[in-house]
Amino acid sequence: MKKFLCLLLTLAIALSLAACGGAPQTPPAQTPPPADSGSQDTPDPAPAPAGPIKVAALSSGYETAYPGMWQEVCAAFTAETGVEVELTLEKNLEDVIGPSMQGGDYPDVVLCATGREKGLTEQFIKDKLIADITDVLTMTVPGESASVDSKLVPGFVGTNITDPYGDGKTYLAPMFYSPCGLFYNAGLFAEKGWDVPTTWDEMWELGEKAKAEDIALFTYPTTGYFDTFFPTLLYSVGGPDFFNKAMNYAEGVWDTDEAKQCFDVMSKLAGYTAKVTPAQANDQDFTQNQQLILDNKALFMPNGTWIVGEMADAPRADGFEWGMCALPGGASGTSASYCWLEQIWIPSGASNIDTGKQFIAFMYSDKAAEIFAKGGAAQPITGITDGMEGDNKMFYSIYDNGASAVMGGFAAYASVPGLGSVREVFFDPFNNLVSGSLTQDQWVDNIRTSSDTMRENLIVS
Amino acid sequence: MRSSKNRSRFLILCTAPAVILYFVFMILPTLNVFRMSLFERGAYSPTETFVGMANFKVLIKDVKFITSMQNTILLIVTVTVITFFFAIVFAAILTREKIKGQNFFRIVFYIPNILSIVVIAGIFSAIYKPDTTGMLNNIFTFFAGRNIEILWKSQPMVIVSIIIAMVWQAIGYYMVMYMASMAAVPASLYESAGLDGAGRLTQFFQITLPLIWTNIRTTLTFFIISTINMAFLFVKSMVAPGMSDVGLSFMYAQKDAGLYGYSMAAGVVIFLFSFLLSALVNRVTEREVLEM
Repeated sequence: MKKFLCLLLTLAIALSLAACGGAPQTPPAQTPPPADSGSQDTPDPAPAPAGPIKVAALSSGYETAYPGMWQEVCAAFTAETGVEVELTLEKNLEDVIGPSMQGGDYPDVVLCATGREKGLTEQFIKDKLIADITDVLTMTVPGESASVDSKLVPGFVGTNITDPYGDGKTYLAPMFYSPCGLFYNAGLFAEKGWDVPTTWDEMWELGEKAKAEDIALFTYPTTGYFDTFFPTLLYSVGGPDFFNKAMNYAEGVWDTDEAKQCFDVMSKLAGYTAKVTPAQANDQDFTQNQQLILDNKALFMPNGTWIVGEMADAPRADGFEWGMCALPGGASGTSASYCWLEQIWIPSGASNIDTGKQFIAFMYSDKAAEIFAKGGAAQPITGITDGMEGDNKMFYSIYDNGASAVMGGFAAYASVPGLGSVREVFFDPFNNLVSGSLTQDQWVDNIRTSSDTMRENLIVS
Repeated sequence: MRSSKNRSRFLILCTAPAVILYFVFMILPTLNVFRMSLFERGAYSPTETFVGMANFKVLIKDVKFITSMQNTILLIVTVTVITFFFAIVFAAILTREKIKGQNFFRIVFYIPNILSIVVIAGIFSAIYKPDTTGMLNNIFTFFAGRNIEILWKSQPMVIVSIIIAMVWQAIGYYMVMYMASMAAVPASLYESAGLDGAGRLTQFFQITLPLIWTNIRTTLTFFIISTINMAFLFVKSMVAPGMSDVGLSFMYAQKDAGLYGYSMAAGVVIFLFSFLLSALVNRVTEREVLEM
């Protein structure tokens, strides 16, 4: 009896240990393990029906607007090439694929843009863990006869958004793009007889007029939205050369007249910002700041075209109508609108790199574009704006109306302890500018010193 | 002889799973934190470089880290003092006084504890809304007779807002704990004290407090450690990044910036800090244990 009991106990322990030990190693994989086809030992460089590829995509506002969008695109890819797709679609994509990637299990294709709080894509760029996909540009789009680069709108590849090391090699393919600018209530402007300002002086005049009616000139969802606003401001004031210098933290660039002008605009704007903005500029409450526009409590906010879908169900003032304008040009500058771009890329540790490239090429097919368009998403494919309707048609035509398209962002630099991210150095302090706990000089001084360190740690190929 | 050998074998077998699990999931990762703080690597990079104490040298000069530790300490001190004061007072009132609907209050106070942090953040974003539609501002406006628009989640009120939310969340749990131990204090003690002419307050300080002291000590240590964790969750879910960082949110941000080693160095400092703080608290609250 005793022996039996002892045996039973050991068995139970062994079982429980096995159960506990096994769990963390194997991620919840209900699907069969991917066939190891794309690694170096494969004789055939482009196996036609390779094992299933793993695609990880961020579930953004487009997916909300048209649920099942990604599933449909993946099914279309399978129908075209015969390759099965295992789709991971999450709002918090970094938290889902991050841990398994740390364990060496990489998706084959990742759709996750730079500029997100978790900075996953930035980290991959900094550590050079992204596969070179320059040859995707010359690949034929699956199911079509055209090559990828013949379909791409010129100018979308070649900035540091797609070629982060500036060596002419493309690592991140351009996916959904969205013009960013200042969003406002066109109905309110018509009602009051106000004109959309084309210079900053007109902007301040309007600010005074609005103040008299108890409306603030400006608000912003969170400081993160300045990552499109601030570069555009630099561009519109200083032009492309100055913009490129600033994006690469060139020596003395923040002491120039152009930079001074930009900082002045920023701190003046802080003075005209709705006072409640910083208190709501967090991930929990940022829609309340967006609501200020809908409620006619603020006139302008920097945002992207997704705002229409994001606030679709929100209550709004009578006669509300979305309007979007480019940033006013400076004294010598041009009006400009940032072109925000999501990227799709392949981790260099992925096991099916070749099939992954095929998948990326498929993203530019007419079929994929058609499915994405249902969610309001647009890729930089020639002629994509022709089929648009309603608000989107107006938004995407901003470049046809004389605004320069601004592409590219602050260059990647190697992380240095104590330095902080671009957002922490440049944009987060804006909250404090608005609340008055920071002066313009303190802000600029910090940018100047941090920018020097950033330049010294620029990542070059 | 034989049976004692069997017995110890049985004991080893029984404790082995727990010990092994604890070792694998607690001890090893903790040791690894110490090891990784001496290296620098990105969260996803396969290579790491040994940098020795360099991470710590930068860390002690990093203004952001110092500020975030100051915030942590401020939160630990204020939240602990306020929570414990109210938890003990409420517990004493609910156990000693005859109040209608005791159980109702008990449940009401306890509810915040079972809510997830996301729900709490949602509730408080309605309470802290900066215009007059926010609950707190609305109440103040009503009593002041003029529009009061306090920007709760902006500087300089943001830390106060976090303190209020944390206290609100923690009171119920500790109150229930003290109610349990207060209920164990024999009523005869209060009766005889009452006969000797001791008032309610004297009874509380002379009888209740000394008899539940062991309980307070233990919960205090728990609470301090959990405040370090909870402060992180509250800050992360309630306020804008960089608005009022605490130790752990600083550590988290460094990881996102691709500085795994640096963030682990911050982790080591926070670990040692909480360890020493608990030891210190344990030391200074030591009293002779009273038997009932």
